[in-house]
Amino acid sequence: MTVQVEIDEALGREYEAGFISDIESETFEPGLDESVIERISKMKGEPDWMLEWRLGAFREWLKMEEPDWALVDYPKIDFQAISYYSAPKSMKDKPKSLDEVDPELLRTYEKLGIPLIEQQMLAGIAVDAVFDSVSVVTTFREKLYEAGVIFCPISEAIVEYPELVKKYLGTVVGRKDNYYSALNCAVFTDGSFVYIPKGVRCPMELSTYFRINEQNTGQFERTLIIADEGSHVSYLEGCTAPQRDENQLHAAVVELIAMDNAEIKYSTVQNWYPGDENGKGGIYNFVTKRGICHTSAKISWTQVETGSAVTWKYPSCILKGDNSVGEFYSVALTRGRQQADTGTKMIHIGKNTKSTIITKGISAGRSNNSYRGLVKMMASADGARNFTECDSLLIGDKCGAHTFPYIESRNPSAIVEHEATTSKVSDEQLFLCRQRGLDPEKAVSMIVNGFCKEVFKELPMEFAVEASKLLEISLEGSVG
Amino acid sequence: MSEWLESAIIRGQKIDDWLTPKRTQAIDLLSTTPWPTRKTEAWRYTSLRAIQNSKAKNIETIANLLPQNITDLSAIELVFINGQWDKTQLPDVLPKGLSISLGSDLNKEQQSQALANFSDIKPKRHLFGLVNDALAQDVVIVNVEDGFNIKQPLRISSLLSLGAESHTRVQVTLGKESHLAVIEDVKAEGDSLCTAFVEYQVSAKAHLEHYRFALQTGSNVAVGGCHFNLLDHSSMHSTIVAFGSDLSRLDTDIIHSGEFVDAKLNAIYLLDGNELFDLHATVEHAMPNGTTEENVRCIVAGRSKAVFNGRIHIHRDAQKTLAELNNRNLLMTNTAEINTKPELEIYADDVRCAHGATSAQVDKQALYYLQTRGIDRAKASVMLNFGFINELIDLMPNTVLSEWIRPIIRNRFSAMEVK
Repeated sequence: MTVQVEIDEALGREYEAGFISDIESETFEPGLDESVIERISKMKGEPDWMLEWRLGAFREWLKMEEPDWALVDYPKIDFQAISYYSAPKSMKDKPKSLDEVDPELLRTYEKLGIPLIEQQMLAGIAVDAVFDSVSVVTTFREKLYEAGVIFCPISEAIVEYPELVKKYLGTVVGRKDNYYSALNCAVFTDGSFVYIPKGVRCPMELSTYFRINEQNTGQFERTLIIADEGSHVSYLEGCTAPQRDENQLHAAVVELIAMDNAEIKYSTVQNWYPGDENGKGGIYNFVTKRGICHTSAKISWTQVETGSAVTWKYPSCILKGDNSVGEFYSVALTRGRQQADTGTKMIHIGKNTKSTIITKGISAGRSNNSYRGLVKMMASADGARNFTECDSLLIGDKCGAHTFPYIESRNPSAIVEHEATTSKVSDEQLFLCRQRGLDPEKAVSMIVNGFCKEVFKELPMEFAVEASKLLEISLEGSVG
Repeated sequence: MSEWLESAIIRGQKIDDWLTPKRTQAIDLLSTTPWPTRKTEAWRYTSLRAIQNSKAKNIETIANLLPQNITDLSAIELVFINGQWDKTQLPDVLPKGLSISLGSDLNKEQQSQALANFSDIKPKRHLFGLVNDALAQDVVIVNVEDGFNIKQPLRISSLLSLGAESHTRVQVTLGKESHLAVIEDVKAEGDSLCTAFVEYQVSAKAHLEHYRFALQTGSNVAVGGCHFNLLDHSSMHSTIVAFGSDLSRLDTDIIHSGEFVDAKLNAIYLLDGNELFDLHATVEHAMPNGTTEENVRCIVAGRSKAVFNGRIHIHRDAQKTLAELNNRNLLMTNTAEINTKPELEIYADDVRCAHGATSAQVDKQALYYLQTRGIDRAKASVMLNFGFINELIDLMPNTVLSEWIRPIIRNRFSAMEVK
């Protein structure tokens, strides 16, 4: 069987599993024990080693305690009250057309400039009938196949490419890494797997967005991206429009492996439902993202975080190889009662490793927005260099902006620079804009966009446009 | 709970004196406070092994110890020997407006007043502050009356003989529009353990000039604190110089309880050998229009370890606050460590806050420049390092003290293990 046929078949199978068969019978009862994990593994048709791996993680998780160091406050999560496998909703339950979808949601899509067909997908409409998704998948898969790139659901990769998965899964974020990642190791249901072969520059930007079967991915997704020597890939993740979900836990793990001279660019626009203005509902977004850079490799994280009720997320780089580079660009906007504790870790191990951290935090309403980051220079990191800039902007007098940078240096030739500032949108700036006929809301949005420019310019073009629009929408009602 | 803490609690329970009500409160809190581990945020980088292994004991007899001589300094000497106040070293006549008394010598009414203020400024859950509450040998109460400018500095020296333990406690109150300079220092002969706490109450429009010299090194353990409560329009200027030891931790808390308060804190670390110095500096801006400026500079050589946590907390009401923190570190060897965490926690929007932290080694180009001028590398390195610290020494308001400390610092540089 050729690889192409394998991919075709695999994609087809997954698609079936996702939308037609298995569906209604396979939504698990809430609760978590080893039998639930066995069921998940069995449903995915996983090999024994994978089940063992999951169970090992689960046993570790049972011994661990929920972390409490982040500046976030939420009621204790009852892990037995969660269903660990919720298969995609059946066609019957879905809205039949856009008329049945919340008009407010549609208004947001419209403002974001999302094409109608994508709006339908995002709103969870049964698009298969109206939208030739297969052809989209096929065109893009052919293009990737020509380049030798593997891009498929991780559940499929476990079956189809076990040697690759076995070799890399859990090498960057281990099973014992932290409470939520251990839970993810035990119960993840899907996610993406990407392998870029040696010397290949991925011909297109990869996105979870294009993968229709990702649309209803569970709360515990797992992404593994391997960029082999000298390769290059840009990966876009996330929902660019709100998903209307009840208060639920989202504990994802992303692992990136950049081999010698490879480059991975990972961009996220996260806009999960943040809960209402009184803090009711919303997603708890507890995500572990980490990449490892081998010699002269580069990993660049860019994130725009505007959603979720609680965010706990620290995309990190382990700069293991000499001359490797790590970057983190982040915009985090909180409003209403949102709480975000986000930042990065840059672990410098190799010589002449470099890292740059640029973060912009914007707090409005009664929200709290924290930057928490670690820059660690190991004794071996001769000539390493870090530059960190954390700026916070406060809109309103009931929100909070916080900065918790940790700097640990063991190497005299390593240079670490950190600076942080906090300010508000100045009256002078506002006055100037209003003098030129802009209403206060537009003016603030313009000022905030300017504040975030350094990060937006790191995003792929269409993402950048969306991000700035998203910011504008998110700021609505925050001013005045 | 650790054995050490258990024994401290048992010892505290046995003491029966005028401080007993406060001791009991502290012991209650201590018995529910977990002993810190590396997972305890406030002790993440600092091991308490030295204190757990400490054999230091309470030595009752007053040894014949004299404070370190500070050239040209004429100070009012408040000397503690192994934790007990040696009144003989206090001048017979104090400047007008200044009073110094021992808590146990006061009458009942004065004692209840002192009890009300005891532990009022120090944060309630401060671990070694609670230990000090439980084991304080007594409280020395220093009072400056309203409107008095005390020209002569007050020096609080804690002297410890070999293997001695001391738990000194001082309350300093500056009346309205008064001025006082306080120098705190410790001299220890080794294997000692000291929890020295001073609580400062600075009334409206008063000014406090403060110095803390932690120059004892080696096998001496010090876990102490300076806590400042600042009322309307008051100001303080504090300078801390530390050489580190097996375990040397200082917690400073500056509380802006009034409006238009101005606080400045400069700290210098010079660490070598296996020494550790850990400064946790907290600033609470509770009221509007306050300003804070903090400068912390560390030079770390040998296998030593510098820990700094600089927290600035701007409360909801503290609008128009200006707060800045600058932390610069020079790392001399790759066996030494710098761990720094400048924190900002901000709940008011109309404020300007910034912090910066850097870690590097001496600028190679500057070093090269000096070498081309015929200055050998070692000497050039000392010159540059000294320049780095000297800026903060120049900011010390008391020139007698800056002239005294300068050569001490210079000598320490010359002796540092750079490779």
